[in-house]
Formats: sequence, C-alpha cells, structure tokens
Amino acid sequence: VRYSSNRIKAAAALLTTLLVLAGCGSGSATTGTGATGAESAAGAVSGGNLTWGIETLPLTLNPQVNGQNKAKLLVRNQFDSLVSRGEGGSFEPWLATSWTVSTDGRVYTLQLRDDVTFHDGTRFDAAAVKANFDKLLEPAYSPSVAAINLGQLASTVVKGPHTVVFTLKRPVASFLDFLSSPNSGIISPASLKSAANLTAGGVDVVGTGPFILTKVVAGQEIDYKKNPDYKWPPAGAKHRGPAYLDTVTYRILPEAAVRTGALTSKQVDVIEGVPSSDIDIFAKDSSYTFANSLNSGAPYGLYFNLSKSPTSDVRVRRAFVDAVDLDAVLKSVYFGHATRAWTPVSSTSPFYAKAVENTYGNKPDEANKLLDEAGWTARDTDGYRTKNGQRLTLRLTAASPYIRDRRDVLLQAVSANVKQTAGIDFKVTIADVGTATKASSTNAYEVFDNSRGDSDAGDALALIWGRGAPINYSKANDPKLTTWLGAGSTALTQTARVKPYQSLQTWAIDQAVELPLYVPADQIATTADVHGAGFQPVSGVPDGAYDIWKAK
Amino acid sequence: VTTLLPHRTAAAEPDAPSGPGAGRLGTTPGSPDARRAAGRAVAVRILRRLVAAVLTVWAAVTAAFAALWLAPGSTVDALIGEGPDTPVIRAQIIAEWGLDRPIVVQYVDYLARLLTGDLGRSYVKQQPVTLVLSDQIRPTLELALAATVLAVVFAVGLGVLGAGRPRLRALLSSVQLALVSIPTFWLGILLLVAFSFHTGWFPVAGANGFRALVLPALTLALPIGSVLGQVLSEGLERALERPFALTARTRGISRWRLLGRHALRHALLPTVTITGWVVGGLLGGTVIVEQVFGRPGLGQVALQAVTTTDMPVVLAVVLASTAIYVLVSSIVDLLYVVIDPRLRDVA
Repeated sequence: VRYSSNRIKAAAALLTTLLVLAGCGSGSATTGTGATGAESAAGAVSGGNLTWGIETLPLTLNPQVNGQNKAKLLVRNQFDSLVSRGEGGSFEPWLATSWTVSTDGRVYTLQLRDDVTFHDGTRFDAAAVKANFDKLLEPAYSPSVAAINLGQLASTVVKGPHTVVFTLKRPVASFLDFLSSPNSGIISPASLKSAANLTAGGVDVVGTGPFILTKVVAGQEIDYKKNPDYKWPPAGAKHRGPAYLDTVTYRILPEAAVRTGALTSKQVDVIEGVPSSDIDIFAKDSSYTFANSLNSGAPYGLYFNLSKSPTSDVRVRRAFVDAVDLDAVLKSVYFGHATRAWTPVSSTSPFYAKAVENTYGNKPDEANKLLDEAGWTARDTDGYRTKNGQRLTLRLTAASPYIRDRRDVLLQAVSANVKQTAGIDFKVTIADVGTATKASSTNAYEVFDNSRGDSDAGDALALIWGRGAPINYSKANDPKLTTWLGAGSTALTQTARVKPYQSLQTWAIDQAVELPLYVPADQIATTADVHGAGFQPVSGVPDGAYDIWKAK
Repeated sequence: VTTLLPHRTAAAEPDAPSGPGAGRLGTTPGSPDARRAAGRAVAVRILRRLVAAVLTVWAAVTAAFAALWLAPGSTVDALIGEGPDTPVIRAQIIAEWGLDRPIVVQYVDYLARLLTGDLGRSYVKQQPVTLVLSDQIRPTLELALAATVLAVVFAVGLGVLGAGRPRLRALLSSVQLALVSIPTFWLGILLLVAFSFHTGWFPVAGANGFRALVLPALTLALPIGSVLGQVLSEGLERALERPFALTARTRGISRWRLLGRHALRHALLPTVTITGWVVGGLLGGTVIVEQVFGRPGLGQVALQAVTTTDMPVVLAVVLASTAIYVLVSSIVDLLYVVIDPRLRDVA
C-alpha cells in the first residue's frame, strides 16, 4: 500500500489540530473511544452513513461465484473467510483460529471459532464449512473454482463441532490463499440450500460479515447495514467489535468523470477507480485523502504467439521489446501515475524477480539490428519493414468490454512507438467480445494482451504459462515451464516456491515471450472526514467498509 | 379485418338506431351517427394496430435472435468470458443451456415458451428474465416519459416564441442545432457539472424521486426537443403564411390566439409523427444516460446483457422496447384523429 505524501500531511494536520484542541482543554476533540495510539483507531467514532461511488455494476454478489476483482470490496462486507492475510502476505486467523498441515502437505486440519453466527441467526460450525465446500465442488455452481482452485480437493470431513479436515489429492501450495480469498467466503448453509437467487446473490444469500445486505437496485445502488453482533474480524483488522458505520450505500457510477464530480461536490464520501488524469485533484488537495494500491497476480502485458511466424522468431520478439520506450509511453498515457511492470509477476508478489528490473528495453539500434538479421530488411511505401513482399505485421484484437485503464490508448501508443523506431506494424483492433474470441480461437493473432488479479501470483502463472492451460495464448510449451510450475504449485513452503517462479520470469523475459507493460492498480479517494478506507492485503483491491469511520 | 368491423360494432351496440341517416356518408358533425362513425374509425384503427403490433414484436424478436446467432463468437465463448476455459466447463455450459440443439429448434422452442409468457432464464445471473427486468422497466419508462414531456414543452415553447419573428427564430434555431449536435454523453456531463457538481441543485445519480429525474430527462429531452422544435417551427411558419391566418388577423384576433387556436393545430401533425418516431429512439438514448447518471433501467440491463451475450435477456429487452415503441406509435396514431377531424372519416 502506497500512501501519497499528502495523505500523510493531511493526517499530520488533523493530529496537530487534535493536539491543539486538547491543549486548550476542550473536551470536544476526544469523542468516541479513547486514543489508543493506533493511527486509524485514534478518535474513531461509531455511527453515520457512508456513500461510496463504485465503478462496476457487479454481475453477482455471491462471493463464491464472483470472478470480478471490482466486486470484491462489496462481498467482503457480507462474507468472511476461514483464513486472512497479513500485510506482509502471512496467513492469519479469521473464522478459523488455528490450523495444522500434515508433513506431506495434503491434510489441512482447521480449528474454527465457536462464537460465530450467520445473519440468519444460524450457527457457524464445521458442518457449515463442509456444506460450503461440498457445494463448491458441484461442477456447475462455480465452474472455475471447482475446476481450478479446488481441482485437487479430495474430501471435507467434520472432525468435531468446530474442527474440519480438508484432504487434497496432491499438495497445493496456494490452498491457504484460496481459504483466504473471497471465493471461499462462507455462506449460510440455509442460503445454499434454499436461496432463490443463489448464483446472482442478494439479500437471501447471507454470510457472517460485519455488514448485512439490505437492498440491491441493479444499476443504481447496493445498501448494507451494520451487523451489531459482529466480533470476529480478521486478525489484521484495525479494530475489534462491530463496524463503525451504521449503513453503507454503494452507488454505481460507471463514468470516471461522474465519480470525480460526485466526490468533489460531496455527494459521495468515497470513490474507487480514479483515472490517472484526475489523481492530482485529490492527491494534491488536503480536503481529500488519496491512496493507490498495486494489484497482485500477473501485470498487464503483451504475450507473443510462439506458434506462428513471425513471432516464433525470437529475434522479432526481442526487436519488438527493444523498440519500445516504455517509460516514455507510460508517462504520456498515464500522466506519470502508472507503475511499470518488468516481469510476468506483479512487483507486490513474494515471487517477484526483482533482478530482472532495468535489464532490457528501449534499445532502438539493437531492435533494428535484430530485424535486419532476421531478414526483415526491405521497407514498403508506408515505412514498414517487409520480407519477401510481406509486411512485418503483428495483430492484436482486444475485446472492448474488458478494456480499462485506457489500455486502448496505451496499445496505440506502443504501436506508434514500434512503427517509428523499428518499422513494425503492430495492428491493434478493438472489437466486440465475439470477434476477439474468434481471433484467439482461430489463431489469427501474433500478440495477445492480458492481466490477472489473482492474489496468488502462482495461480496466475499456472493459467498463463502451463502447457495447454486455459489462457496460455502465447502457446508456450517449453518443458522447463512444466518443471517450474510443478515445483512452484506443489512446494510445501512459500519460500520454496520463490526460486522456480523466479526462473520462469527470467526465462520469459530472456526469450522475450512477454513484454510486461504496467502493474494494474486500484485507487481510493475520500473526503477528509473519512478514515480507515484501505485495501485488501496481498491482492491490493479495495477492502470492505469494516474499519471505516466518519469524523463528526 | 376491416370487413369484420361493422359486425362487431353492431354487436356491441344492439339497440343502436339504424335509421336512414346511419352510415358514413352524409353524417353531420356532432350527431349520434357521426359519433358512431368516429367510434368505428377508432375501433378499426385499434384492431389494425393490434395485429400490426403482434407482427412487429414477432419480427423484432426474430431479427434479434438471428442477429445474436450470426454475431461472431459462440454463446459458450461469451458465457466463459474472461473465466477459465476448459473442455469440462464448456461441456457443462452447452449441456445446461441446450446450446447443442440446432438453432431452428432453439428458435421454435423460444417462441413457444414466449407464447406462454416464459421469457427464459438469464445465462449469467441464472435468474428468470422477468425478475432481471421487473425492477428496470419502471425507471426507464419514467425517464422516457419525463423526457418526452420536456421535449414537447421545449419544442412548443421555442416554436411559439419564434413564430413570425425571423431574427429570434434564427437565433433559437441555432441553439437547437447546437443541442442536436452535442453528443448525449457530453451534454449529460455538462449538465452535471453545472447543476450538480457546482450548485448541488440536483443529485448526481440514482432514481430516487423527482429531483434525480430532472437532469437525466433534460439530457435526453434537449436534443429531441430541438429536432421537434425545428419541425414545429417550420409548420408554424407555413401555417402563418396561409390565407386563413391573414383573414384571422384582419378579424382582429391576437397573435397568441392565432398561434394557439389555429396555426399550432396545423403544425402539430408532422410534429406528432416525429415525436412518435423519436420516442422509440429515446430507448436507445437511455443506455448512455443511465450510464452517465448511474440510473437503473433497461439500457443498463441491455448493455450488460449484450456484452456478456446473455441471449435471453437481450431478447427480452428487445421485446420490451418493441412493445413500448408499438404502444407509443399507436398512441400517436390515435392522436392524429384527435388533432385532425378529417381523419375520423377515412378509417
């Protein structure tokens, strides 16, 4: 989590004011709980209503079915997981108080809290956990979870009222990460059995979270009220007990300019998704707080198709990478607010190969030399390189609904850059989903763009680089990849996963199979009287409203 | 259809007098016979409309079905979206939604279920489509209605103001042209900046009450009202050039009375035609307005359904929009009869 210096200044200013007021003997500055020293708990007051402008109309509010990163802040209000993540990526207690893992890494025994109730009044216990995981294994319920995250789960057994045992077919290094993800948020077994809108989520799909869902108006807003009985926050939460806010209303405002205007006119208290052009409005004004957080997983990058010419030629791929002055491109597109990606893994991940940084790119002379060597020596009337009368064209078709962060502009800027420096025709087409999927299923592309927001970067790597894996659009099938991915996904400790994943990153950059572009980020801007808004550890997406309070 | 009608009218009014004066020709305005003739004319129109409406809805649904089928990419691809794509997941999706059946079978099956009022289930939300749409129709209708009223008021207001005043009319006309040329999206943002972000007079988003309706309705109404205004203004000018206008003026009636009682009636006919046409187009405009103002409605549902190729929802939105369009154009058709007495005789 990166806080802007202005946020720190704003916090300092507030603290100074409080101290001055206290010095004057005025009691009004110490409402609520007494100052405990912790920044976000100091002066925290309960009560009030928060309105939060969000970007995305969620497709579902069921945490187990949800695949949208942008909906995770919503489901975290309503649902808790068994395990939580600490700031450094450690695994910490939540609904499970402790756990043990067998020496072969296949059997996980979890002790559960015995004082937790669902919003419908039923008790949370080992049987409830089993009901959830049995449901998750139904292939049609949440297909990707059943097929991928829990593909190795052999059984879930109730060992005692508050003891549950998961047995895996083989060790899965990211299993605890799954137990901490919203996809394993625990739903009341009564809801799993009888909710009318189980897949879409809604007020009849209930959890144990700090807020209770009260109303969903599709396309307009999603309303929550405080769960007064809540006393089981994740270990890393900034306070214990019920949430501070009485109610939270999320307003769906898909247009960035409208979110910005809604906050500057104080019609909402918080917004997420601040476009880079508007960041300075909030970051440079002390009447707001602004925070930016890099996402985990695989950063946004270009993957070259190894299965066909000309991108099967490593010289062409290296030339493309060398032809791009990525720092300049990012600066012009994102006004200096983007973080450059250097490897196939996000820089926030413990598996990140930092050594790769600053080792490649922006070498136009080298790029031209490589293309000459590869035989792309002639030029056509438009200035593009050709070989045997064929233009050096690399096609990319992106689906317009999935375009965010001005990626269309970024791709055009890269295209202009490689044309200018090396005569490469990087042809970017923005199309509907059908056309884009058709291009990929008929192998009618040389470049593919993608990013993944998985909280465990290893999961993202398996999907992108595994032989025949679902999104292996570069069609990489080097046997070394299988070795590294196998070692990384079955290692018994997190430390043992680092080396194979770093080898993979070094290889991918050395072979120029990927040109990583930037690390996707989330932003939160609030008015100065809102405190405690933050991001989910590790994944870096905005968190729910549990720790948020409003000064009165 | 037309030949059946006298029958029906007679059956509906068994005690109606049928003297020598009855019939379409030779009736005098205001007589019971004339009223019956007018009533029959309206009845014919309504029945014709009903048949046309059913055909229109069927044609629209069929066209939408064909378009979705012909669109590149399969429904399975769209259902998988950005999620993991494995043969197992593919097979499940195909089996669950019956996508392996021939398209004709899927089409006939869909029509058959439609006749029983079953709109199907959303692929993405796995809910009945009726549930997905039920909360969304009212906000869209509210918005469309408010925008229509505002557009008509705007058009008539500016039209009457500029009628017979060439300089003012030219000025108003340029304002209208500017409003037509501005993209809806940008107009919405401009209105928000002026009347919400800076003044705080109106809320930025939502569908909570009257105040939240003003800016979205204005965004839709101003360009449409401008088109209507241009047509109305033309009509008014033409009417004012007619000899009857001069005669009326020489009789000493005021400008307002001339406009209100005579010229406007002449100018309204083409305007009403255009109104019916643009209200149909309003439904398309609501997609953008709902997006900008964060309002619920059919537009948002349609957008999400199209991008996720949620076929049952797309078809239902087409169905609902067509029904609304047909309803509006029917009302317009009936309005002709109210505005222009001559039409009452030529059903």
